Amino acid sequence: MAVLLAATTSMAATRDGQAVLPSFATAVETHKSMVYSIAWQFLRDRVAADELAQDVFLQLHKNWGRIESPVHLMFWLRKVATHRAIDAARKRKAQAETSLEETDEPTVLERVHDSFLSSYLQRMVASLPEKQRSVIVLRYQEEMELEEIAKLLSMNVSTVKTQISRALELLRGKVSRRLGKGID
Amino acid sequence: MMTPFEEELKRALHRQEPSADFTARVLARCEAATNAEARYAFWQRLWTLPTWRLGLATGAVALLMLGLGTMYEQHEHEVKGMAAKRQLLLAMHIAGTKLQQVQQRVNESE
Repeated sequence: MAVLLAATTSMAATRDGQAVLPSFATAVETHKSMVYSIAWQFLRDRVAADELAQDVFLQLHKNWGRIESPVHLMFWLRKVATHRAIDAARKRKAQAETSLEETDEPTVLERVHDSFLSSYLQRMVASLPEKQRSVIVLRYQEEMELEEIAKLLSMNVSTVKTQISRALELLRGKVSRRLGKGID
Repeated sequence: MMTPFEEELKRALHRQEPSADFTARVLARCEAATNAEARYAFWQRLWTLPTWRLGLATGAVALLMLGLGTMYEQHEHEVKGMAAKRQLLLAMHIAGTKLQQVQQRVNESE
């Protein structure tokens, strides 16, 4: 473990000029919640999301020499996590169609912290088609700009806009039907 | 500018934390993967050696085997020779004893 940390730290230290890359261990510690959350929004299963996030970091370790800057690191992690999550969600969907009944019950902590609407919205996002789900997660969880999402998912900005508006429309409709009132 | 619905969505999609030992588990898996790759790389390097180097290595191994074989054969030859010598000495000893006995009987009869 010590050898691994030393190797990754020295690699980071050789990069002069722009912002210096953190060590690999620091990168994992800093970005674990981002990668895990992306996986979680697609899979709604703690074990599967944990496994997927670990695989993403394992892939990062293999490609660590190609990471150029902290910005590139963030972009790389979001891209790989999103694509892997989409693939995993598709595989799961092929096995069994995701429905409200199949999604995990919120934990006690979640029940305390989340309002009914938040909890319901999370489940509704999880039931969106993969493309729409990915743009919604990147836009509202990761707070990314439309151009960034377009670059990350290899789409046009107009396609991203369309996907977001369609997803929002779908979610508003579901929430309205569920709560009996609309939210603008 | 976000709408109230978008604000609500943003609140709902907050980041989740993985388990506390997540980083340690990732680092352990990375280390195991690095070790496995190093082991694989040794055999991979051996396999991808240039032909002349591989030929040289094979020749050296063949020569070594031939030398060892010759040494073994020589040793076996020596062992067999020693055994034959021991047998010859024993036969001569027996023959000598017999001759001595015959000589003794001839002397007694005279």
